[in-house]
Amino acid sequence: MTEPRVLQNFSSFVGHLVASDLRAADSLKATLERLGASLVVVPVVDGRATLDVPALRDDRDLLFVDADLGQPLELGEIERPPQVPVIGLVGVEAPSRLKTLIQIGATAFLRKPVQGAAVYSALFIGINGFLRRRQLESRLEDHERRRRGRRLVIKAILDLMQRAGIDDDQAYAILRRESMKQRLSIEDYCATVARTGRDVAFAGGATGADGRDASLNQRNQRSRP
Amino acid sequence: MRRQPLRIGLLFSSTGPYSVVARSMLNGALLALAEHNASHPDCELEPVVVNPGGETGQYAVLATELLKSGIRHVVGCYTSSSRKEVIPAFEKHDALLWYPSHYEGFETSSQVIYTGAAPNQHILPLVEHMVGEGRRRAFCVGSNYIWAWENNRIMREAILSHEGQIVAERYLPVGEIDLARVVDEIIATRPGFIFNTLIGTSAYQFFRDLRAACTSRGIDQVSAFPVASCSLSEPELEEIGPDAVDGHLSSSVYFATVETPENRRFLSAYAQAFPAGPTVSADAEASYIAMKLLGRALVAAGTDAIETVKAAAATIELDAPQGPVLIDPDTMHAFLTPRIGRSTAEARFDVVKAASAPVRPDPYLVQSMPRFAAPARATNLRLVR
Repeated sequence: MTEPRVLQNFSSFVGHLVASDLRAADSLKATLERLGASLVVVPVVDGRATLDVPALRDDRDLLFVDADLGQPLELGEIERPPQVPVIGLVGVEAPSRLKTLIQIGATAFLRKPVQGAAVYSALFIGINGFLRRRQLESRLEDHERRRRGRRLVIKAILDLMQRAGIDDDQAYAILRRESMKQRLSIEDYCATVARTGRDVAFAGGATGADGRDASLNQRNQRSRP
Repeated sequence: MRRQPLRIGLLFSSTGPYSVVARSMLNGALLALAEHNASHPDCELEPVVVNPGGETGQYAVLATELLKSGIRHVVGCYTSSSRKEVIPAFEKHDALLWYPSHYEGFETSSQVIYTGAAPNQHILPLVEHMVGEGRRRAFCVGSNYIWAWENNRIMREAILSHEGQIVAERYLPVGEIDLARVVDEIIATRPGFIFNTLIGTSAYQFFRDLRAACTSRGIDQVSAFPVASCSLSEPELEEIGPDAVDGHLSSSVYFATVETPENRRFLSAYAQAFPAGPTVSADAEASYIAMKLLGRALVAAGTDAIETVKAAAATIELDAPQGPVLIDPDTMHAFLTPRIGRSTAEARFDVVKAASAPVRPDPYLVQSMPRFAAPARATNLRLVR
């Protein structure tokens, strides 16, 4: 799988600033505007940001969160970190404050008071770090799903070996070829076979070590429940 | 009562590998300072000139000395590495650097006013020109520092967006003059053009070696392997020497051959003040502009406090040798007029193309850079059995 492409132009991004001390807003706003982006200051009431975090869009929004506020974001019942890039604003360098930034998924930080000269680097590393982490999470999720599907692959191999009188390598080759024809992963293909009871179409399939064609679906039809 | 002259720092490497351009920059700044003093006897400026000798480490040392002595405005630096070296000192002492050279962009320090060209004013017009000439295969050769690295990245983005190709990217140490290997590689790979980001002595030797290697093989270098640069200026053409000086392309906001009344006056005053040279360059003009703007901003502000001077500078429209110049208050970079020049045997440039009006600076290429970076290497598909 290829690496995610590096995002380098931040024009039209909207930064949402969640901070108790709004002095950061001036330098952030000026620099973001030079980069073609903009800044919205999110009101903080009783230590909580009045922001609909799940409604944010990953291709447009990013969050600047002041770690000195503790955890000011409403993350919903499952406490899922925001699905947009988060850049922390660090004032007090204490473990409890920094831990909050980890919990909400910050991938970069800016020291307070915010220096305009540091903003481009924070955006570049923060947004691309977020994209890279999200791609890794997506790959992990895909691998987990495929791991769960391996049981059905083994089942399909055994079934085909039994029906066609072939060995496991040949059975695997047939399943792999058929899954590629249908543009499915082998796990998804075997899951479909198991779910629908469909026969594996192995006509013209793998050739055995003795040169015998393993295509047996015409002479070894078997009804499935 | 006559006020004490205000001391202005001038930080230029009048010796070292890029001293030819830096001396022309110093001259440009000194000329503007003298003109300012002649017209504003009540706001006299006193130059304090220091020379880091082209050693990056010396820039911060000398800048700090200037600022510790109470100076708040310095005109200087040529290379980006030197500018980046001194910015922390300007932040610490709350002073302002007037940076008078074209550079690769991606910076807007609150302690700097940029009077040279930003990348949308030099490299992008160059790419447009080369593509317009049907040359889409670039061989990039440069001095190993940020100017070349970043310009080559921008070149890659731009040329790929025109369905072109980067044939190779080669870097050499600043001051390197053993260029035979890279010249051989260029001739072997036959690019559509060479994008040159070598500076100083390395660049001059490169032009000489490339021309000699082509001539000895019966190749017409200018038509076969034209060299395109964003940093080549007239005093450098003189350094290259008569055998290899002609036919090179340069993207710049100023050439000595620009036809404006202010340029004629500037050239005459420069020649009179500095008969020993070096010849005027784009960076000399940028230094002249920087000192002119600084003088006028100081007069308008009535103080040398940097925020007041910056605000005043952004309100001034200067009738510069290249044409009208003004500072963009959002980025503190200058509106400038991009041009493409082709060098002549007389070590000057014929202007072959010019923008019709000053172009707004876009140091982060927000208006022109694709959202996602180009892949480091084009994907090659290979037939497998």
